[in-house]
Amino acid sequence: MAFNILIVDDSATVRAVISKALKLAEVPINELYQAGNGREALDALQKDWIDLVFCDISMPVMDGEQLVEAMKANGMIETIPVVIVSSAGSEPRVARLKENGVRDYIQKPFTPERIREVVDQVMGAVGHA
Amino acid sequence: MHSDKQDALCTTFLEVVEHLTFMFGEIVSKQEMPLGGRDFTLARMSFAGDLAGRLAVAVPADIKGEIAANILGLDPDDLQCRTMMDDALAEMLNVVCGHVIMALAGAEADFKLVTPETLDLAAENVASMVASDDFVGFMLDDNPVFLGLSLED
Repeated sequence: MAFNILIVDDSATVRAVISKALKLAEVPINELYQAGNGREALDALQKDWIDLVFCDISMPVMDGEQLVEAMKANGMIETIPVVIVSSAGSEPRVARLKENGVRDYIQKPFTPERIREVVDQVMGAVGHA
Repeated sequence: MHSDKQDALCTTFLEVVEHLTFMFGEIVSKQEMPLGGRDFTLARMSFAGDLAGRLAVAVPADIKGEIAANILGLDPDDLQCRTMMDDALAEMLNVVCGHVIMALAGAEADFKLVTPETLDLAAENVASMVASDDFVGFMLDDNPVFLGLSLED
């Protein structure tokens, strides 16, 4: 099965690096979507069929924590798995995010192998692997 | 800057930059650094929470393409590198900042990062800015690079 993946980060560099890492890690991809902040991500989540979200924490307009809370409040998208990719992942914040349903946390800088490990773990856990 | 903090700052910066850009560096006395009349680009950002302050990095404008290329895994002449040079430098600072805060305040520190911004610095303005005690000098792949940290009390 190939996944529709949404990458949410205000940095075009990070979006490009995650895209490349997914390809290098040979993650089966059907469609890659991109959003520059949580608001754009919510629009994409409501408009498109997304299987997995990679999301930064610190972003303008709507940050990653706000996006996760907004997803949790919307029954149509609350079960879509979210993986945080950030350099601002202090222990209390990661714990808070996981309490809100975030599946995993990837610390920057990361390797394609780490991306693959998380995709296998998360998508396996929801029965798609 | 207190020497323990400066040690943590420098070590973290060099480790993160090596992982992210595959560029190797060493700390150098600012007085011995050859600026060579090069223009620089400054990336700066603030952070708040258990540790609050500002972090900035200044690099010669002519190595931004190499930094972007290394982060993106592309050729420096690739159009994508040329259009994303400032964004890549900002992202490098962003990653350094998260690691520096946790190195200084511990993994349990709660903090927020504010999106970095970049600005160009003419050669004549570089020396006065980096003369501040907040800035530390490095040679990164034989290029002068400055990192500045200012913490709120």
